Amino acid sequence: MSSPKRILIVDDEQDILTYLSTLLGDQGYETVQAKDGEEAMQKVQAGPLDLITLDISMPEKSGIKFFREMKTDDRWKNIPIIVVTGVSEDFKKFISSRHQVPAPEGFISKPINQEEILDLVRMLTQ
Amino acid sequence: MIDNPYKNYFEMMPAYLTILDRDLRIVEANRRFCRDFGDFKGRYCFQIYQQRSERCEHCPAELTFRDGKRHGNEEKFINQLGNEISLVVYTTPITNEAGEITHVMKMATDITEVILLQSQMRERRERYRKLFEEVPCYISIQDSDLRIVDANRRIREDFGALPGEKCHQTYMHQAEACVPCIVKQTFGDGQVHQSEKVMTSQKGEQVNLLVYTAPVHNAEGQINYVIEMSTNITEIRQLQSQLTSLGLIISSISHGIKGLLTSLDGGVYLVNTGLAKNDRQRFEQGWKMVERNITRVRRMVLDLLYYAKDRAPELESIPARAVADEVCEVVRVKAAEMGISFGCEVDRNIGDIDADLKAIRSLLINLVENAMDACRVDTKKENHVVRIKLRGYPEYIEYEVEDNGIGMDQEIRERAFSLFFSSKRGNGTGLGLFISNKIAQAHGGEIKIESELNKGTRMILKLPRKPPTSGTEAPNV
Repeated sequence: MSSPKRILIVDDEQDILTYLSTLLGDQGYETVQAKDGEEAMQKVQAGPLDLITLDISMPEKSGIKFFREMKTDDRWKNIPIIVVTGVSEDFKKFISSRHQVPAPEGFISKPINQEEILDLVRMLTQ
Repeated sequence: MIDNPYKNYFEMMPAYLTILDRDLRIVEANRRFCRDFGDFKGRYCFQIYQQRSERCEHCPAELTFRDGKRHGNEEKFINQLGNEISLVVYTTPITNEAGEITHVMKMATDITEVILLQSQMRERRERYRKLFEEVPCYISIQDSDLRIVDANRRIREDFGALPGEKCHQTYMHQAEACVPCIVKQTFGDGQVHQSEKVMTSQKGEQVNLLVYTAPVHNAEGQINYVIEMSTNITEIRQLQSQLTSLGLIISSISHGIKGLLTSLDGGVYLVNTGLAKNDRQRFEQGWKMVERNITRVRRMVLDLLYYAKDRAPELESIPARAVADEVCEVVRVKAAEMGISFGCEVDRNIGDIDADLKAIRSLLINLVENAMDACRVDTKKENHVVRIKLRGYPEYIEYEVEDNGIGMDQEIRERAFSLFFSSKRGNGTGLGLFISNKIAQAHGGEIKIESELNKGTRMILKLPRKPPTSGTEAPNV
């Protein structure tokens, strides 16, 4: 039996961290949490990850900065990132206008559609 | 007495010419005099010019007889038509062969029109001055060194502008000229220029001004001054800002609601799956999420209502400590759930204040919730504390809400009371502190912020025991 896929959930809202951890945990994924970009980077460095769900508007290091660091570092750039945010459309446009940074592997708008995020996670972790 | 050819000049002179003897009797007069004053024979100067029976008090002819020198003055006379005319009078001695003064020649020039023109010019100048002073905008005249040569009343009163001061020192409180400077531009090209400036009034208020400059030419067509005229557009800018803010609030609320719905979804998910799995711990965790986020929805809706409608505070005499006690009771449970130590230090003998109970309670709850939020998002400390303190002074009281949460940097401190500004990213509407500040002001009070990033915040609400009666509008509560 293969080990569970490991997913990092990044959001400054504890309730959303709890929600996504429980939802993904119920599907057999192992989850780790981070409350901002800085903590997220520590978790990335700490262990192997199969996927990251990322909020954009956070105190301290923002999701955009964390995303750029991830996608411009050869060590982490292949970890798929799903942007989960209330401003994902704006973020999509922003990222599209920056050609040197690749687009995230997935976008999910808040409020989250459970089926949609689970399908996306499943597809990106296969 | 006057021989040809001088007799002819005497007659043709465009002035009143008379020859007087020592008794001031007119012995000769020219044509113009006869035309306007009639027959002079045997009559005295003062009889004809002044229609007096006695000599004038200050008679230049008499002085000339006395000292042999020329004299002059300005007088009003009545001509034979009964019209008052203004004359400039000069007297000069006429001597005989022995050098004795036998007569005096009196020359009077009609300056009635000149006087009239001078008077009209004075009136016109006064009218323009009044217009300059009273016009409802700021006007100053500046020279090429940007020194104020003249300034109207409004600009003197609001900005303290004085002749001799430099424009940028007075309006902008800066040592150097503005870049670009439209006064300099007008001096350079003679054209009208326009710009918008934010200037600081004598009272320290920021005033948005729409500024125009125009050249003032001298007789040779050179620009010797530039006139600067400014209109106060602060209210228009504030209105524009509010309209822009309406767009911002929709965006801000939309973002906030998305976050709230996601958290509510999460709570419902945990409740449902907790029930399905018979997992009580998960159920309770989910239920707390639901409760917490319903509270956030309520807060957001109330904030919006506060913002949407203003009304004067309903003042009543209330025990100051009762408000603090009530808020402490509500908050204590919530703080315990969030793992935050909570303290309430209230002076029991604080007395009463005149205040709108509901408004002050809402204000305090808002401050305390902000404090708890600041602790909740602070990941750098293990133990968090929120304290409410109440202190009484003879004229006022102080509520203090202190936390050791995430704190604020200078930018957040300065913008904390701005409408729709939130440091909570998507989780705040930017209304809470704006409304709290409005409530404090409506009571004649204020909120002070002492905060340091990563260390914590102290919010001090100072309220007078008796608010001024002519208070501003307070938010609906």
